[in-house]
Amino acid sequence: MIRLDNVTKVYEGGSVAANDVSLDIQKGEFVFLVGASGSGKSTLIRLMLRDEPVTRGKIWVAGKDITTLPKWKIPYLRRSVGTVFQDYKLLPNKTVRENVAFALEVLGRPQSVIGPQVDQVLELVDLADKAARYPRQLSGGEQQRVSVARSFVNRPPIMLCDEPTGNLDPRTSVGIMKLLDRINRTGTTIVMATHDHAIVDAMKRRVVALESGRVVRDDETGGYEAVRETLPASPALPTEPILSEAEEE
Amino acid sequence: MSRVLFLLKEAMVSLRRNMLIVVGAVLAVFISLSLALGALVVNEILRLNTIAWQEGVHVIAFLNDEGENGIPPGAHDDMLAEVQGWEEVDNAFYWSKQQAWEEYQELFAGQEELLDIDPTILPASIRIELVDIELHSSVRFRLEQQTGTVRQVATAAESIEQLQNLSNVLNVLGLGMAIVLGVAAIVLIANTIRLAIYARRDEVSIMKLVGASNWFIRVPFLLEGMIEGLVGAALAVFAVWLGASNLARAGEAFALFRLDVSQEFFFRWGALFLVFGAVAGIMGSMLGLSKYLRDADGTGPDVPTGF
Repeated sequence: MIRLDNVTKVYEGGSVAANDVSLDIQKGEFVFLVGASGSGKSTLIRLMLRDEPVTRGKIWVAGKDITTLPKWKIPYLRRSVGTVFQDYKLLPNKTVRENVAFALEVLGRPQSVIGPQVDQVLELVDLADKAARYPRQLSGGEQQRVSVARSFVNRPPIMLCDEPTGNLDPRTSVGIMKLLDRINRTGTTIVMATHDHAIVDAMKRRVVALESGRVVRDDETGGYEAVRETLPASPALPTEPILSEAEEE
Repeated sequence: MSRVLFLLKEAMVSLRRNMLIVVGAVLAVFISLSLALGALVVNEILRLNTIAWQEGVHVIAFLNDEGENGIPPGAHDDMLAEVQGWEEVDNAFYWSKQQAWEEYQELFAGQEELLDIDPTILPASIRIELVDIELHSSVRFRLEQQTGTVRQVATAAESIEQLQNLSNVLNVLGLGMAIVLGVAAIVLIANTIRLAIYARRDEVSIMKLVGASNWFIRVPFLLEGMIEGLVGAALAVFAVWLGASNLARAGEAFALFRLDVSQEFFFRWGALFLVFGAVAGIMGSMLGLSKYLRDADGTGPDVPTGF
């Protein structure tokens, strides 16, 4: 689904954000990108979104080489990749419903399609009763759920999440991770950059650890442990498991 | 269809949300185009008056009296026949002492002290309309050579020519002014749209994030610019039309100078200014947007930076 071949990204001034990174992410996988700040997690996500051009190497997303994608096709790439960010990126002057519908308006979907699809996704994120509210009237966790709903409403095959729990307390983070886990079970490939130890350890999914732009570890069902000694301890590790056994099934 | 409605709605919402900026842009267009159209109206008034004056008598040759103490009888007729034969002359006719007296009475009717004069002191004259106003000096020269018959030559042609020159200069100035003010209107709209986009930069970045094409982002702003340009232009046309109509009414008192401009002039230029307003609005928006949508790899400089 996503393939990076010897990708290198050097910013102006010479700082190397990605150094000869090669990765192969299969359809339906849930992959954590972990590492300290500045290790290159976010850069990799930006490169996969074609928000930045690569310096060297190739990136394939859904079978297309996006490094040679013409400018005018970039919006089409974005439509097949849902994105969730730490700061939610919601439109403050639109209601929850309008924010979610916006992603479909952009695609030119008719209202007859937009209405039911938005209702469905708002049910999924458990915000149907708050559809008429504005982002400022919601808690951080709810805003992030709106953001997840917006990125998933057109059922993209891939979702890129950059620190989606970065602004949330551990309990709320669990809710978001449960939501992402449910979405992943529908077959959506999810790549999530995080430095939340507890979540990575609890989810037991593929972990790609980065250090100074290099892949230093790629575990099929790893935890954060192997890089823990290089990072400050997490301030709030939850004592209960993120996902219960029942939910995992 | 739903997409068109959505884009229209977005434009309307943006106009409502950025009301102060929008009012600024509309005023900028209104002022620029009012001045430009005003300059054109002044030009038109000058043009109409120049034409009106050009159509009248350009040169008058006052003649010495015929008779015992004057020139031989028949000299006036000979002079008229000669003048009518000149190639510079389009039309020439004789104006007798009696006609001059009647004209005088008419001109100064009601001013008894001026009317109490000897009717015989007013001279007969030959009144000449020229083929081309610029030929007045040659005709004047030829008349002045007829010292026996012609007492004095009076010509309005110099004034008309000066008016014509003034009109030409004002035409160029007016055109220059209209161009400068038109460009100013575009730049002002561009600046306004840039402000509107700056105020909505997060929104633009989110639009890009969810896969909106540059055109999808552009269209509401273009509509916004077009509406601002149209409203500004419509207000300008209305204001200048109102001003010109009042001026025409006030000008009815002046017999020598007409101040009325035809409705057809306003229809023609009004339509053109409305089109210009809309185009200026669109061009201004394009200029204002270019900075935000220009980019190295198609994503623009203001794509989410919160990574």
